[in-house]
Amino acid sequence: MAYFYFIWKFHRSFLIFSALVISAFQFLILKLVTTIDYSAITSYLLEQLPENVQAMFGQDFISMLTVEGAAAFGLNHPLVLVILSIGAITIPSRHIAGEAETGTLELVLSFPVARTKLLLNLWITVLSFLFFIILFAVFSSLVSIYIFHQLTAGLFVKMITIGCNLWLLFVFVMSLSLLLSSFGKEGNKVGIRVAGITLVFYLLHYLSSLWDTISFTKPFNFFAYYQPEDIMTGNRSFSLHFVVLFSLILICLLVSLFQFNRRDIPG
Amino acid sequence: MDQSIIISVNNLSKFYGETLGVQDLNFSVSQGEIFGFLGPNGAGKTTTIRMLLDLLRPSFGQIHIFGKEIYDHSLEIRRRSGYLPGNFSAYGNMTGADFLRFAGSMRRTSPKLQSSLIDRFQLSKEDLSQKVKHLSHGTLQKLGIIQAFFHQPELLILDEPTIGLDPLMQEEFYRLLFEVQNKGKTIFFSSHNLAEVEKICHRIAIIRDGKLVALETLESLKKKKVRRLKFILKEPVDDLKLPGANLVKQKDLYYEYLVEGDMKRLLQKLSSMPIDDLIFPEPDLEEVFMAYYHKEE
Repeated sequence: MAYFYFIWKFHRSFLIFSALVISAFQFLILKLVTTIDYSAITSYLLEQLPENVQAMFGQDFISMLTVEGAAAFGLNHPLVLVILSIGAITIPSRHIAGEAETGTLELVLSFPVARTKLLLNLWITVLSFLFFIILFAVFSSLVSIYIFHQLTAGLFVKMITIGCNLWLLFVFVMSLSLLLSSFGKEGNKVGIRVAGITLVFYLLHYLSSLWDTISFTKPFNFFAYYQPEDIMTGNRSFSLHFVVLFSLILICLLVSLFQFNRRDIPG
Repeated sequence: MDQSIIISVNNLSKFYGETLGVQDLNFSVSQGEIFGFLGPNGAGKTTTIRMLLDLLRPSFGQIHIFGKEIYDHSLEIRRRSGYLPGNFSAYGNMTGADFLRFAGSMRRTSPKLQSSLIDRFQLSKEDLSQKVKHLSHGTLQKLGIIQAFFHQPELLILDEPTIGLDPLMQEEFYRLLFEVQNKGKTIFFSSHNLAEVEKICHRIAIIRDGKLVALETLESLKKKKVRRLKFILKEPVDDLKLPGANLVKQKDLYYEYLVEGDMKRLLQKLSSMPIDDLIFPEPDLEEVFMAYYHKEE
């Protein structure tokens, strides 16, 4: 609990900011759908565009104009992904590789704290932070739907499922950051590397939906296992996403623990 | 294993890839001893200390502390030890008080001892309420000393502990060391400051380029009788050669020698010379230390 509080004190401003921005964004985007009926106009306009251009943003854009679509779109918006990525990447890289660089990790590990326990504490702490931020976002979406639309049991369950999927995706990103941190000696370098990997995978995911030639990469891309629109429409089952992301998380965590236990701690 | 042996290091080596950290270190430290670990920067002192705390893993060799193998009993050993790192750094955004609270939450500390240490090292409320990143080096070092001592450890591992402390605080720190040692605690004291090692340590290990070049008591080191002899002659002397002494400096009639071994013949020779002024102080550890380094070179 002391470690949880310690990490919280370090990052509380960012975490509160993240929770508020994402929640407000969700609330507003769902309110917006109710105020103006764009769907007919936009559908007509999109139909006039070339097929490739339609594919670039058409589906997302049209689906966003329904309540379900807007809710799914909001939780898959780059703003949300970027904010969650910052937290998921920087906290582990700062407290493992970054502290190895500044020498505070040496001090902490001179206390009677097992390396496994320290790493697990950090993992659970960041996992909890991500959980609460996403919980806020989902809650805010549900409140907005309840106020401005009609909240059905089915929609409620789907929103919770999307929230869980989003959480698993970022627990994986965080575990990846933890994995590279357990090898690294410089927090910034590790942070930049994980951010780079995440960005490349995101772009690849985006491009693979446009170009058939690279569509074979989809099953190997972790972003393919977070498809809120598909969960909302019932096209894909969450259980596959769960199994893949959970396995990736577990692999990252186990390798991190193994490496962190055997590595030298620089001063 | 002898119960009174607190630290036992056998054939300890550490390589960073192909670079040598330390090689074939063998030494032991007994209970209640203040053990000086001496060497210039980069000699391998900190590498050795980090291995004692299981922060670095040895390439070869074994370390036993409190009679227990370090890797298997790392937690227990760290629970019973206090450590002050060489470049002590704490979390910059924490206040001094927050840092002590944080360090205290990791150990079973004695609040009474903590507040007495705070008073003793003259840390004011203002110091403790400032963020660590704004503290002076000396104040930060005091925080480091407090966190190393405040759980009354059986073994203290101190890496260059007096760096940044003013002379008064250094004296206070030495007094604290002697008090702790009188209670039967063991102190592993790494330094490159010969004067302080000479002042407080019972036994000394000298490390150079990762290898132990000497491991002796302070007395036996001093018995090596490496002294610096300085004199000024009244008039020039032809072909001046002193038995058992090596000339290290000469300017006009001023001579400086390093003297080793039997003094009898040297004194006889000196008594026959036209000496105007002579300085021949007690053996200084620095001279002993330098002699070891010169010998190796």
